[in-house]
Amino acid sequence: MSRLTVWLILGATLTFLIGPFLIVILAGASAGEALSFPPQGLSLKWYAKVFTVESFRASFALSMFLAIFGTLAALLIGIPAAYALNRYDLPGAETIRTIVAAPIIVPGIIVGLALLRYFVVPLDVTITMALFVTHTALVLPYAVRVVSSSLNNLRADMEEAAVILGCTRLQAFTKVVLPNIRGGILAAFILGFVTSFNEVPASLFLSGPGVRTLPIDMLSYMEITFDPSVAALSALLAFMSVAIVFAAERLLGFSRYV
Amino acid sequence: MFLNRAEGLALALPAALFTFLVFLVPVGILLSVAFQAESGAWSLQGYVDFFSEPLNQSVFFRTLKLGILVAGTSAVIGYAAAFCIVNLPATSRGRIFGLVVLPLMISPVARTYAWIVILGRTGIVNDVIVGLGLSELPIRLLFTETAVFIGLLQLFLPLMIISLVSAMENIPRDVVPAARVLGASWFQVFFRVILPLTKEGLVIGGTLVFTGALTAYITPAILGGSKVLMLETLLYQKVNVSNDFVSASVIAMIVIVMCFSANLVLKRIASVRR
Repeated sequence: MSRLTVWLILGATLTFLIGPFLIVILAGASAGEALSFPPQGLSLKWYAKVFTVESFRASFALSMFLAIFGTLAALLIGIPAAYALNRYDLPGAETIRTIVAAPIIVPGIIVGLALLRYFVVPLDVTITMALFVTHTALVLPYAVRVVSSSLNNLRADMEEAAVILGCTRLQAFTKVVLPNIRGGILAAFILGFVTSFNEVPASLFLSGPGVRTLPIDMLSYMEITFDPSVAALSALLAFMSVAIVFAAERLLGFSRYV
Repeated sequence: MFLNRAEGLALALPAALFTFLVFLVPVGILLSVAFQAESGAWSLQGYVDFFSEPLNQSVFFRTLKLGILVAGTSAVIGYAAAFCIVNLPATSRGRIFGLVVLPLMISPVARTYAWIVILGRTGIVNDVIVGLGLSELPIRLLFTETAVFIGLLQLFLPLMIISLVSAMENIPRDVVPAARVLGASWFQVFFRVILPLTKEGLVIGGTLVFTGALTAYITPAILGGSKVLMLETLLYQKVNVSNDFVSASVIAMIVIVMCFSANLVLKRIASVRR
């Protein structure tokens, strides 16, 4: 194939994949009142307005809380599980692996409905708690998988050497294993954060009035209003995700782990 | 490898128990409802009722059709794009690949919202159509199957490209030039050399895209609305509008079965070609 054909194909594909974002960024920068493209004059007023909408602020705070603490909780139980699956000859290791990976396989909306009907309602759990538990479960498979692959690259005899040289098993873990899988843990955190922050289907049934994650709040906002503020907010969120991933890639070669 | 099994189990148990109790048990109960009559006895009546409604039937076939179309189209574009990416020099290969992966990190709501700006009544496409005088009034482009198709394709195409790129990286570099030198047309090169060597990537990519399209909620909700329902948006309606939990469970079961069968069928096709 000639170079021209190659760049034509890639150009068309990338325009289709990325072009729409550029349009959203510009549509959010419109000076007009209604959503349109090309924008009617340029202004940053919609970007500014996003920060003054009360419901966006509340749902952003909730989404941040879920993404940070849901992922931390998943790592808290996920790291020991990944360690056990890698370093021990466990009976039923395959079963444990399948159970932990299950939340990826089941479609999100079904998860949300199931938890609402058979977890939240019978146990009288608060919505925030339900969302927290759901996001932890959804992020857990990624945490286990990424930390596992990072543990795979670390030779087990280093820990044995540490134990022989007088470390307790716990010290061998905190002094030898943890520092060596730090990159993997950080990568798992970022992947979990982004997954949780962008999650919609599972949270759909678990959202009540006043308690909504940001993406769901955007969905309901765009049903009633047709101004460019959702475009501005979409653009801001896209910048945030890209900045996080870009920083991670620069700092620790994120893509090695995922 | 450590031999103390009790210690290992104690470490793995919190994660397994957590997922089992708050995830598998509720989902299991929900799916079992799909097999129960109102009296509580086991029955397949829910499925019979579900498929006897014309609306449900059309939503089922539309979902299947869109899933196949999106997976098929992304395979065609994916092969072209992946082949180009693999043959780039190393530095630009990394950059272009990064640009393909980038959209996956961005909120699907933001990604789908872009199409409202493009396809809406006052969007670019309608501006061009009205501007050129092709139509006096803006055409309805949103809330059509085409809009949902475009949205889903943009959402899941990167998954196909990634799968195919990693499959193609494993093809020895000189195989394609060798086939060309020996007189194979590009058509023959693709079907007799590239396709057989990348079919595993195609199976993975195809499964990811098909199940992704099948289980997508945001795209059909925003771009299809209640005019173009898919199984997931229908499930949401059954619960929120008509409080029909049996139908919701039946839909859940259907979606899960469709996802698993897609994977099996694709694997079967791939091994038959051998």
